[in-house]
Amino acid sequence: MAANDKVTKAETAKEEPASPILIQMGIFAAILFVSSLISPLFPASFPVPTPVIGLVLLYVLLATHIVKLRNVEKFGDFMISLIAFLFVPSGIQLAASLDILKAQGVQIVIVVLIATIVLLVVVAYTTAGFIWIRKNVFHRDVNVDD
Amino acid sequence: MIILTETAPHMAVWGKWLGDALGTNAAGASAGNAIFGIFLSLLVYLIGQWLFKIGKGFFLFQPLFVGMVLGIFILFLLAKAFGTDTATFYKSAYLPGGNIIFWFLNPATIAFAIPLYRRNDVVKKFWLEIVLSLIVGLFVSLFVIYFAAKLIGLDKVGIASMLPQAATTAIAMPIATAIGGNSAVTAMACILNAVIIYALGDWLVKFFRINNDPVGAGLGLGTAGHTVGSAKAVQLGSIQGSMASIAVVVISIVVDIVVPSFAKLMGLM
Repeated sequence: MAANDKVTKAETAKEEPASPILIQMGIFAAILFVSSLISPLFPASFPVPTPVIGLVLLYVLLATHIVKLRNVEKFGDFMISLIAFLFVPSGIQLAASLDILKAQGVQIVIVVLIATIVLLVVVAYTTAGFIWIRKNVFHRDVNVDD
Repeated sequence: MIILTETAPHMAVWGKWLGDALGTNAAGASAGNAIFGIFLSLLVYLIGQWLFKIGKGFFLFQPLFVGMVLGIFILFLLAKAFGTDTATFYKSAYLPGGNIIFWFLNPATIAFAIPLYRRNDVVKKFWLEIVLSLIVGLFVSLFVIYFAAKLIGLDKVGIASMLPQAATTAIAMPIATAIGGNSAVTAMACILNAVIIYALGDWLVKFFRINNDPVGAGLGLGTAGHTVGSAKAVQLGSIQGSMASIAVVVISIVVDIVVPSFAKLMGLM
């Protein structure tokens, strides 16, 4: 009976309710705080911005089940749903650098156009190459399950 | 502009009142009034969303792009009206509010660990191919971008600003600063990436036969078009969609490792 109880408990653990939003924010704040302490330890020639460390930290915490999805996903999904709006100030900050745009704006736009196409094509074909190697050299399965 | 100069005496009264409200006067500035910046950001973005809806998804009406252009234009007009230059007006009136919104990119960026973890089965199976493809692909792309920028005649700051654009904006900006670029130009590049992939993505995928390898199509779209690219990838199929959402996150970490080394190699820093 006791053993049975344990199994049911483990099964229902998945359906436990989401953590209160303030706790979710607290987890984000704690991860950011730790990240902001780690970030300055890297040399200026190899900068690792706070969000990079936070991203890796949160992923590791999720992968090791120290933090569960239900502890963070409500606040996290909400923040991701806002991401395009959150970029507005980054776009508008160009107002402080309009002279750069005046001097080489057309060139910058052309380079960005080239860069976008190059990144798409080169990454896609490099991946196709590595997938080909996986399939034909190492004979490993290349199916992606949905 | 002529109208504004003709009504200059009235502007003095209005100007003081508005200046206090916007925080461009000495008193307002010390109070660090953030309300105008937050309001303007929401206003221009919501106008963008509205335009995108009534324009039936016309590519130049992407809300973020409209928000950027319209926001800068409004600041430009207001600066003229206050008789100051756009950069100064931006710093005193918009920046306090802009910074508050900007701060929330920190939790929003680390939140991308959640979709990455949701695809953990795919990540675990293909991690080596994903990491190798992104490192090699980015390195090759950086050479092309570097020499294209040099050929077109960008200066050192311009070139350095172009290199980190594959990462998400919050990560690309500090890297741009670290390698001697202008983070505002990098942020614009990131926004333009999404505009370009939204506009040309379908055509580029067809023209370069990218969808022959679904994993490659996903990683390519996520790298080149950020979150807009991963929305495009979902339309191609679920493999492409998962791979693109993985690429958006992993490429940011790869950029952080590869771009400073590349900049050093090219003597930019």
